[in-house]
Amino acid sequence: MEAASVQQAGATQPRRRSKGIPERRLAIMMVAPSMILIAIVAAYPIIYAVWLSLHEYSVRVAGLSRWAGFRNYSNALSDPAWWAAFEHTLIFTVVSVALELVIGLGMALAMHEAFKGQGLLRTVVLVPWAVLTVVTAIMWRTMFVSPYGFVNTVLGTQTVWLGSEPQALIIIILADVWKTAPFMALLILAGLQVIPGEIYEAAKVDGATTWQRFARITLPLLMPAILVALIFRTLDALRIFDLPYVLTQGQNGTSTLSTIAQEAFATNRIYGLGAAMAVLTFIIVMIVSFSYIRFVGGNIRGLADE
Amino acid sequence: MRGRFGLGAALAVSACALVVAACGGSSSSSSSSGGGGGSSSSSGGVTVTGAKVIDPSSMNSPPKGTIHYCQGKDTTGAGKAVVSEFNQKYAAQGYKVVLTEFPASADQQRAQFIQRQQAKSNDCDVFSSDVIWTAEFASQKWLYDMTPYVNQSRTKYIPAPLETVHYAGKYWGVPETSDAAFLFYRTDKGTAPPATWQAVYQQAAKQGGIVYQGAPYEGLTCDFLELGFAAGGQVLDSSGKKSAFNSPANVKALQLMVDGIKNGAAPKAVTTYMEPETDQAWTSGKYGYMRNWTYAYAADNTSTSKVKGKYKVAPLPAFEGGGKAGILGGHNSVISTYTKNPGLALKFSDFYASPDFQKTLLLKFSQAAVIPDTYSASDVKKAIPYAPELLQALRQAKARPVSPVYPQISQAIYKNVNDALAGRVSPADAIKKASDQINSALSTF
Repeated sequence: MEAASVQQAGATQPRRRSKGIPERRLAIMMVAPSMILIAIVAAYPIIYAVWLSLHEYSVRVAGLSRWAGFRNYSNALSDPAWWAAFEHTLIFTVVSVALELVIGLGMALAMHEAFKGQGLLRTVVLVPWAVLTVVTAIMWRTMFVSPYGFVNTVLGTQTVWLGSEPQALIIIILADVWKTAPFMALLILAGLQVIPGEIYEAAKVDGATTWQRFARITLPLLMPAILVALIFRTLDALRIFDLPYVLTQGQNGTSTLSTIAQEAFATNRIYGLGAAMAVLTFIIVMIVSFSYIRFVGGNIRGLADE
Repeated sequence: MRGRFGLGAALAVSACALVVAACGGSSSSSSSSGGGGGSSSSSGGVTVTGAKVIDPSSMNSPPKGTIHYCQGKDTTGAGKAVVSEFNQKYAAQGYKVVLTEFPASADQQRAQFIQRQQAKSNDCDVFSSDVIWTAEFASQKWLYDMTPYVNQSRTKYIPAPLETVHYAGKYWGVPETSDAAFLFYRTDKGTAPPATWQAVYQQAAKQGGIVYQGAPYEGLTCDFLELGFAAGGQVLDSSGKKSAFNSPANVKALQLMVDGIKNGAAPKAVTTYMEPETDQAWTSGKYGYMRNWTYAYAADNTSTSKVKGKYKVAPLPAFEGGGKAGILGGHNSVISTYTKNPGLALKFSDFYASPDFQKTLLLKFSQAAVIPDTYSASDVKKAIPYAPELLQALRQAKARPVSPVYPQISQAIYKNVNDALAGRVSPADAIKKASDQINSALSTF
C-alpha cells in the first residue's frame, strides 16, 4: 500500500523534477553520505585486514614484508592452539547464550507482570549490565581468587578456581551470564510489550490455559525479539576477549579466538598471522549470523503463518 | 529480498570482529612498503645495520629547544622530579624537557611507543623503555645506536643493567633504573635466610610456605628463570639464534618448583598469583617466605599488614650444584631516531644517569640506581636499610634474553611452566615443549 502511494506521488510530478537534478542522481546523492560512512568504518577495515592477512611483515627486520598467499591461514589452521581456542569459544558461546536466554526470558516475564515495585525490580536487574566487562572480570577474580576469595570461605574449600580446568572456563561462563542475562531480558521485555493484550483476552474467552497462552501466543510472537537477542549475544560471545584476558590470561583451557588473535597481533606483532586469525573469526561469525537469519528466521515466518 | 537482507546484516555485524585488529595495524603499512624477497643476510638474526649513531659531543651544546620524554604513568614521582631538576638546571641555556605520561600497564606503554614510531612521529624524543624491549625496538631501527656514548663511561654502571641495552654488539640506550627480586623472610620465624633454593623449599614446607608469581604472564618467566639461571640453565645459545632451553639444569629447576607445590611448600594457588595476590598472601601472615620485587619491602609494611616489621629481605639464594642468579627489571632511556634534537635528548639521558640524580632516585623514590657508588653513601644506607642487599642482588642478576621476538620466547616459557606447576604436564615435557616453541619463535619471519 505504502509503496504504491509513493509511486503515485512520484508519477504526478515528473515535470518539476526533470528541470532540477534527475531523480536517480538525487537518490544517489542522498544515499552517498551514509554509503561513504559505511565504507570508512566497515568496508575499509575489513578489506585492510584481509590484505594484511595475505602478507607477512617481518618482526626482526625493519620495513621488510612479503606476499604470503594463504600461508598465514594454513599456519593458523594447522596450529593446535587455534583449534583449542576454537573449541573453548564454541563451548563458551553455546553454554553461555543458552543460559542467558533461559534466565533472560524468566527475568523478562517477571518484569512484565504488573506489581508494586516493578520499576525498582527493572532497575536492579539491569545493574550487572551497566558494569564494565573488565570491572566484572576483576570483581569475579576477587571473588574466586584462592584461598582468600569469599567463595572459598563460604564453601569452606581450598579450590584453585581460576587455575584449574574446567573450573576456569565455568567461572568465565558464569561471569558472562551474570553480566549479560539482563541485556537478554531487556530485549525480550521490549518484545513482550508490543504483544497486544486483546489476543490474550480472546484466548482466555476461548478457554486457553496459562501454559497454552504462553506456548501458543507469547513464544511465537516473541520469536523476532528472541532472534535479535540471540544474534546479538551469539556474535558477542564468539568474540569474547575481556573476561578470559583478565581472569585467566587465556590459560587453563580458556583461550579464545580473540585472545589468541590479540596475542599474535598486538603482543607478538605478527600482523599477517594475527589478521588471518581475525579474518577467520569474522568468517565464523558471518556463517553463524547468516544461518541464524536463514534458518531461524524462516521458522518465524512459519510460526507466524500458523 | 530476505536473503539479501540476511547477508547484509551478517556482514555488518561480523565486521565488528575485525575492527580491533585492523585499527592496531593501520600504522604498520607505512613501514612495510617494500614487498617480496626477504632473503637478505640481515634477516638472519643478530645484526642491525644502518642505524643512526649518536655523536657523544653533540650533548655539549645542542641547539636550543624543547624535547619530550615519554614514560609510563609516573606512580613514584621520579619522572616529574627528573624533568623539573633538568629544567631548573638548564632553563637559562634555553633547554626544556616535557614529560608525557603513558598508561601504567607495560603492554600499553609498549603499544603507545610502537604506534608513534611506526608513524615516524617525534612525540617521544626520549622513551623510558622496559629492559625487555630494547632488541625489538633496535631491530626496527627506531633507536639511536648509543655505543660511542656508552663506551665513554661503561665502567661507571653496574654491569648487569648495561647488558639490557646490549644487542647485536651495540648499546642502544642508557640505563635509568634497575630492579631485582628479593627473598623475603620472616624474622620472627628464623634469623637468617637459607643459603640455597632447595633449603628455602625445605624450610618453607615447615614455616607456612613460600609465595611467588606463578600466573601465566611475564612475572612467571622471571620467577622461573631466577631458578633456571641459578641452576646453570640458559634460554638461547651464544649465537642467539637457537634455543638452549631444553637442558637438565632447567628441568631440575622446574622440578624443584613443581615438587614444592606437590608437597605443600608452596600453595597450589600460586599458579594464579601476580604481584597483588602475592602481596595479599604475604601480608596475611600465613607464609614464611615470599619472592617479590623491591617495591614490596615498603608496600607490605603497612599498618594493616600482619607482617609489619616482622620481615627482612635477602638476595636470592644459590641453586645447589649451580650458583646465584636473579632477573633484572628496570628501565633504560632510549633515543628515538625521529627526534629533531638528538643532542638535547642525549643531554637528558646523561642527566638521568648522572650520579646526583641516581642518588635522588634511590633516596627519595626507592628506585634501584644503576651506579654502584650510590649505594655506599651514608645517608642512603640510613634511609634504605636494604641498600647493601639490593646492590648485591643487582650484581648477581642477569638480563632476560635480548631478542626481537622476546614476547614469544617469554610466552613459551610462562605458559609451559604454568602448565607444569598446575600438574598438567611433567617438568621435562614442559621444558621440551617450551624449547620447541622458542625455536619456532626464533624462525619468525
